[in-house]
Amino acid sequence: MGSPVFYLRRLRTLIQTEVLVLPSRITVLVFSLGLLLLPLFTRDPYVLRILILTSIFAILAASWDLLSGFTGQINFGHALFFGVGSYSTALLNIHAHLPPWAGIPLGALGAVLAGLVIGIPCLRLRGTYLALTTLAFPIILLGVVFAIPGITGGELGISGLSRLSGSRVGDYYITVILMLGLGGVMWKITDSKTGIIFHAIREDELAVRASGLNTVRYKLLAFCLSSFFAGIAGGLYAHLMRTAGPSTLEVGTSFQVIIWAVFGGMVSIYGPIAGVFILFPLLEFLRILPKIRMLVFAFIVLLTLLYMPEGLIPWIRDKIEKECPRCKVRNAATRKTCRVCAASLEKA
Amino acid sequence: MKRRNLLQRILCFSVIVVFMSIPAWGADTIKIGVLGPMAFTQGEGHWNGATLAADEINAQGGVTVNGAKRQIELIKVDTNEFLSVPDATNAVELAISRFNADFLTGGFRTEAVTVMQDIAMDNKKIFLGCGAAHPELCERVATDYNRYKYWFRVTPINSKFLVKVDFILLGTVAKIMATQLNIPKIKVAIVAEQAAWNEPIVSVAQKKLPEMGMEVVGVWRPSPVATDVGAELSAVQRAGAHIIFTSFSSSVGIPFAKQLGELKIPAAPVGINVEAQKQSFYDATGGKGDYTLTINTYARVKITDATIPFFDSYLKRFGEAPNYTAGTYEALHILKEAIERANSLDSDKVVMELEKTDRPGTAGRLVFTKDHDVTWGPGYVTGLGTQWQDGKNQCVWPMGWEGVTYEGVVPYKLPPWIVEHYKK
Amino acid sequence: MLQDIIINGLVNGSIYALLAIGFSLIFGVARIVNIAHTAFYMLAAYFIYIGFHYLGAPPVLAIVLAVPATVLTALVCFRLFIDPIQEHEAAVLIATIALAMVIQEALLVVFGGHYLGVPPLISGYVELLGVRVTKQHVLALGFVLVALALVWVLLMRTRIGLAIRVTAQDREIANLMGMDVRRVAMVTMAVSVMLAAVAGAIVVPLTVLDPHMWMHPLIMMLAIVVLGGVGSVKGSLLGSFILGFAEALVVFLIPMGAFLKGSVALSIMILVLLIRPEGLFGVAFEEER
Repeated sequence: MGSPVFYLRRLRTLIQTEVLVLPSRITVLVFSLGLLLLPLFTRDPYVLRILILTSIFAILAASWDLLSGFTGQINFGHALFFGVGSYSTALLNIHAHLPPWAGIPLGALGAVLAGLVIGIPCLRLRGTYLALTTLAFPIILLGVVFAIPGITGGELGISGLSRLSGSRVGDYYITVILMLGLGGVMWKITDSKTGIIFHAIREDELAVRASGLNTVRYKLLAFCLSSFFAGIAGGLYAHLMRTAGPSTLEVGTSFQVIIWAVFGGMVSIYGPIAGVFILFPLLEFLRILPKIRMLVFAFIVLLTLLYMPEGLIPWIRDKIEKECPRCKVRNAATRKTCRVCAASLEKA
Repeated sequence: MKRRNLLQRILCFSVIVVFMSIPAWGADTIKIGVLGPMAFTQGEGHWNGATLAADEINAQGGVTVNGAKRQIELIKVDTNEFLSVPDATNAVELAISRFNADFLTGGFRTEAVTVMQDIAMDNKKIFLGCGAAHPELCERVATDYNRYKYWFRVTPINSKFLVKVDFILLGTVAKIMATQLNIPKIKVAIVAEQAAWNEPIVSVAQKKLPEMGMEVVGVWRPSPVATDVGAELSAVQRAGAHIIFTSFSSSVGIPFAKQLGELKIPAAPVGINVEAQKQSFYDATGGKGDYTLTINTYARVKITDATIPFFDSYLKRFGEAPNYTAGTYEALHILKEAIERANSLDSDKVVMELEKTDRPGTAGRLVFTKDHDVTWGPGYVTGLGTQWQDGKNQCVWPMGWEGVTYEGVVPYKLPPWIVEHYKK
Repeated sequence: MLQDIIINGLVNGSIYALLAIGFSLIFGVARIVNIAHTAFYMLAAYFIYIGFHYLGAPPVLAIVLAVPATVLTALVCFRLFIDPIQEHEAAVLIATIALAMVIQEALLVVFGGHYLGVPPLISGYVELLGVRVTKQHVLALGFVLVALALVWVLLMRTRIGLAIRVTAQDREIANLMGMDVRRVAMVTMAVSVMLAAVAGAIVVPLTVLDPHMWMHPLIMMLAIVVLGGVGSVKGSLLGSFILGFAEALVVFLIPMGAFLKGSVALSIMILVLLIRPEGLFGVAFEEER
């Protein structure tokens, strides 16, 4: 017991029985390994830069899903957390000379504070009211940013931050590993008991309260967790760009997050991540059509939604996997019988 | 099966498109990345100015380096910086790493330019800024010369000097009003968009205007993208202002001029209104923008021998007058000269030569300060004051300032409704 | 100064009201948060621009042509992109955002990011209580009253109005009673977009035309609708004037903070919601199952 061989063996069994049996999990494994090994094949600064930004926005989109997808508290102002995260990280770096590894988590705590400040009043609101109210917060903060240019730099932002790491490859590994790690953590949260309660709040808040659970506390927890991860993304972004500016708080940023997440598929964590990994590079690819680039982008989003209103990833998942009618375990679409309970998967 | 075929075809097609979109660059061209928001007036200015210069240089055979003539090749880099800062940085990275740009020019939105500047410096690429006026960009050269020495600002003059021109224009108009309309003490309302570049302007104005014998009746700070300033204008009128000291770099300049003209507010607008520098201003305001006075960079007056030929060929080719982002024209020419003097494309060597630039440019004699900024003053780049008169943007300043009068300057005109209002 | 605040508040409010009422209607009936609402407002202004500058039509004719053209475009877009995914709330939300983006980008491709101007219906100004107001703004004020009257007549005195109100109250029951809910939604959409288009025709001549001009009024409009109570026409009207007056107050009382007028208006909305989470005239939440 406790020997590395034992754990390696357990890992192998885990991979064999839990990962390799499902196409979606294989995809995640291949995707993660591919990302980690990529710098062995190319060190093109442009490609790495795109992937770094993609990873940062993937964290952001997933954090939106954690709040809005799972608890159903649709947040139209996610840019607030991103912006607060990047501004507080920048201030900590410039004034307290905190290095990125300390500044980013502390900056994210700043975002959590923002999450609490807007979470508490928003607890009274629901549905459309909540969505439209949250939209207002980053805009109000933007007013504040312009009102105190001595601290925030106004439209210029705070510039001259220290680098994330010394090299592009270093930046790449930091963001990609953080993205995979935090993505995993978020997925684990939603898979835990807390996550099930989040689900339940979205489906029927009254029933959750009737079961003796304090939904207020859980909703606040969702706000805090989501703002923390979004704040990390903001801090990473600030250190990568070496500046924190008002563009992080713009309405466009909030809308962008929603587009990524819903396009990828809400209530899944991996959906929004995949959404960013498809849409962000797509926008870069579309530089081949310089004039109509954004137009084509918007059209692609619109048409995809028309055929896959639940999002791209759930649509694909339902094509390559099916759920066992008896024990609700997922199976590869090619299987005839369930891998756990051996029930027939053929449609009756 | 059919579906897979389609998929393969799409894949094949996209691969071909990607390859075709990377043209086979000639080995001996000098590649210059022109950075700008290409869907907008500013980016068009960047691109038009640069193409004009590149065509001129190429028509003369190109740039001579080591005895060989090399053609200039422009790379159009759409930074989309108004809408997305990450987009802007990706575009610059693409230009440097993929299209192998040797030099960069352009840039507009300060927040984006600081980031683009950093990427250029990381790659030791010379970046000739044409658009962002914030002093910070050049202060970086002063604080960390070895890193930021590859940055130069070609246009506009930085906001500190803009302030100086501002006050000279204000003084000029105040004098005209005082004498023509018999107003003993001129009252000024300051209307400046809320932006960091305006902070020094507003605070200096509040202090300096009383010293100049004028009274400040109030300060209004609308948002740079406000679409309705009717309330501000009624407040200005209520305060009894004779002159409105404006400071606008964004879209707010248009509704401001439009509503001022529509309401015939009896106060003359003087100061910065970047939108009023553009040819399209008159149409955008439906003609109500007449009498707007703004600081400008280009007008059809003889600043140096280069100005009018540049102005005319720009107008002829693009159908509009150049606005200040077309300073990329200047940038390419000084770059050509510096490369030829250095006889090399090596960034460090070219920087040393760029620092020695002394050229009778299109906007005035261009000499860089030690912070790589544009030198301002009589005999150097002065900036202009232009006023819309009957649908034409006429140069009204400098006229007899420090001995400077450019050929073609016309006198300032007071709006007739103001004359009418105060004559009674 | 008091009269300045009153007049400017009324003008601001009436402009917002034209946008907010239409948005409120379509949300009430079809439960669509139509982010593209102000994009249609922008589109109308561009149609006027095309009519005036390219077709050489006089301003009145350009406006008369632009309004139905906008409504038609909106209905086509609605039928193609929104209607098929009505059941998926999140998808509808993104679809309207994407639709607004498509309109914005299409205009950007055609017209570039230039600031353009459209002609006013009437030019010049009048003095009300000693305050100068453009005739165009007075027109806006007058038109709000007309539009309100028309909407009221439509809702209260016609069969289709009855259908709209019934659908707004309970979509499912309306459907069960044999009503064509989709048709009702289409009609409401048409009315809603028509109001937006008229707002565009009246407001835009006084400001600038550019492909991103839909963003600012969108935010104010959303704030007003939430403040007044989502789906309530009465609430939207009152909300418009509250925020319109708030903006005027900011400009006159703290001129140095005139840029904060948007932020202050939004903060007022949040404060009101803290006291009345359902907005001023919204239906209080039942604990729905």
